[in-house]
Amino acid sequence: MEASNRPESAVPERAGPAPSSTIAAHPLVFSGGGGEYFRVWIVNVLLSILTLGLYTPWARRRTAQYFYSHTQVADSPLEFTAPLRKMVFGFLLFMLLYLAFEIATKTGQETASALLILGAAVLAPYLWASAMRFRLGSTRWRGLQLLFTASWKEVYLASWPVFAIALYWIATVYTIGALAPEPLSLPPATEGGVNLDPVLSRVSPTQWGLLGLGLLLSLLAAIRIEYNYKGLLVRRAALGTQQGRWKPVYGDFVRVWLATVGVFLLGLLLGFVVIFLLGGSLAFLGDLQAMGPAAIIFVVFSLLALLTAVLLISAPARAYREARMFQLVWNNIGLSHLARFKCRLSAASFVWLRLKNVLLTLLTLGLYRPFARVNEYRMKLESVTLHVKGGLDQVSGELSRQQSGGMADMMADAAGLDLIG
Amino acid sequence: MGEATQLPARWFNGRSSRAREVRVALTPGPRGPRLQLIPLDPADGPAREFEHDAVGWPPAWSSRRHPTTLSVELRDAGSLQIDNPQAWHDALARCGARPGLAQRMQTHWPVFVAVLLVAVVGLGAFYRYGTPWAAMQLTRLVPLAWEESLSQRVMTRIDQGRMLKPSELPVARQAELRARFDALVRQLGPKLTPYPGHKPRYTLDFRHGMGANAFALPGGIVVMTDELVTTAAQNGLGDEALIGVLAHEIGHVAYRHGTRLVVEQGVLQIGLGLAMGDVSNIVSLGSTLLTSLAYRRQHEAEADCFAQALLRQAALPTSPMADLLIAISSARDDGAKTQAHKHEEKGEVGLFEGLFSSHPQTAQRARQLKAGEAGSCPL
Repeated sequence: MEASNRPESAVPERAGPAPSSTIAAHPLVFSGGGGEYFRVWIVNVLLSILTLGLYTPWARRRTAQYFYSHTQVADSPLEFTAPLRKMVFGFLLFMLLYLAFEIATKTGQETASALLILGAAVLAPYLWASAMRFRLGSTRWRGLQLLFTASWKEVYLASWPVFAIALYWIATVYTIGALAPEPLSLPPATEGGVNLDPVLSRVSPTQWGLLGLGLLLSLLAAIRIEYNYKGLLVRRAALGTQQGRWKPVYGDFVRVWLATVGVFLLGLLLGFVVIFLLGGSLAFLGDLQAMGPAAIIFVVFSLLALLTAVLLISAPARAYREARMFQLVWNNIGLSHLARFKCRLSAASFVWLRLKNVLLTLLTLGLYRPFARVNEYRMKLESVTLHVKGGLDQVSGELSRQQSGGMADMMADAAGLDLIG
Repeated sequence: MGEATQLPARWFNGRSSRAREVRVALTPGPRGPRLQLIPLDPADGPAREFEHDAVGWPPAWSSRRHPTTLSVELRDAGSLQIDNPQAWHDALARCGARPGLAQRMQTHWPVFVAVLLVAVVGLGAFYRYGTPWAAMQLTRLVPLAWEESLSQRVMTRIDQGRMLKPSELPVARQAELRARFDALVRQLGPKLTPYPGHKPRYTLDFRHGMGANAFALPGGIVVMTDELVTTAAQNGLGDEALIGVLAHEIGHVAYRHGTRLVVEQGVLQIGLGLAMGDVSNIVSLGSTLLTSLAYRRQHEAEADCFAQALLRQAALPTSPMADLLIAISSARDDGAKTQAHKHEEKGEVGLFEGLFSSHPQTAQRARQLKAGEAGSCPL
């Protein structure tokens, strides 16, 4: 009876309705806890080990369900409704492809692995879009399904920076080849290995310029891609008949990235100071030759330490970028004219929280990870307030079944696009 | 039906964000609890029945604490919100709901501990016996031609990249060793063919560089360095020592260890990577590394055992090979006489050395070879 588009006159049905122009603020709330999520996580890890990783789709579903069901948006939790069968099927398909790729590279079938990589690159926009389609389509709030309505044409048009930058690099490689006074072949290997100096000295300033410009353009293209995709995701997201609204401009994104580079350089400087101070104390360890097999262990641990150092030095910059991006996006999006979001996330406290989390995770060999995840999720989520004009009852929609793309979702997950976050 | 508890709930029909007041009744069904939805407002239609499979039952995360609001997915019929989760879970339990293993592990520590124990034992057994067995079965499917083409490519790469130089041994000496190698290969009977039907063409090549060493590539290519031949001569060891080493390398080819390692590492990387990856990359990397080293040690022990059986078949002694192994390892130590190696000579093996080496401890190997009981040998 009240099947389709209900006009806003539906509101006064309830007792004491708010006038449709009133704006109500609803801070988002996360009601889960670190200790509780630790149990969810450890059960997942254990069952994954027992099933040799086959439990992964179930584990992903449980994780998503835990976070969704404890996320209160205007007093109603989010609902995660991805059909398990689709998730399992997508996972198996993904594993098969991955296995094929592993075997192809391990056994030196260069053409096959190159084809797989090329295929993944050309299909990347398609995969991204179907992953988003899957994720939004699997999310409900008050029984209403979120939708991602972008057409494939829009997705590929939004991906233009990838193709532009690929063209630039192909052109540059050819130009450098043509400009080189003599063929850029490697000189024969000498006793100590390949000598690169003659090659480097033959590269002219013009070529260095082309390379530098290429790096700069690549960075700008990467930012542009992030901007395009985020924008498309919000503008083509829909709750019922209401479309998302997107206000940020490209310049905002570039500014965030510039500030991030600054933070990174600062971290680098600090890292060097620390390494310099530590370096003095390491010198007394003497030469490795005298240590015999213990040297191997020492080298392994030094490598791990170096990896950790790189992780730690770049951690503040990555956290800073994440926080600033989150602020920027959640202060500038909304749902048609009904709702908008405000975010008061502090970049400094998020960076501090991330540093604490990284350190504790390293110290506990990863056991702190669930607590870290909950901490960060809570800080981000609870910084957001939803402002709704005219009450929560006015959104109408249709349940749709556009829920393929389980494999794309798995790929997006493998590429580091978290389901939760 | 009469005794079924009814809970107040809010129903969102999937087409509007407006809540409708309803009552929810749970009743036992053949496959689990069933759900009945009874709208309070007649305008919202008649009561609806949902079979067990038509409902997305929300899991319980704890035996005590629940989210403030519970949502129940009803597929095309929208969603329900329950404001009293404890009452909901109690009612479900009364209707004979049987939570899955994950939820029981989640809410009951004893179940979790039991599964943990099973996991520890099962995992150990799998990586100790399961993976090697599976690798062997999978290796059966790999054709010999594939192994041969792979080895050809590796040899070309080694020679073109000048990792090894052409041998400086006199041609006559090469021919002499090759003849003994061929004689040894002719001794291979069905007992020394772990893969029936796998009949590689064994060839011996000589190269210079990389110290005293010998290695085998899948498909039959065995390479020996000039330095190994000189080391044997310098230590007054006859050709029996070199033949012993060659027998060991033939063992690697016959057991198809190169191919097996590819399979085993694939299983490890995917299995352990998926299982441990969420804990931390260090744990996942570490366990993969340690397990793969354990497999390599297992391969070495197998090849030792094979060499011993082959030498016995050819009526050759095993102790010259053992002496050569000791000579090589002490030559390597000359640069760095360390506490650790002094231990090793006495036959004491540190835990870390045991874990981090790809070959079984040299002293131990040599001792077992001398006694003719390499690696608790089945052959």
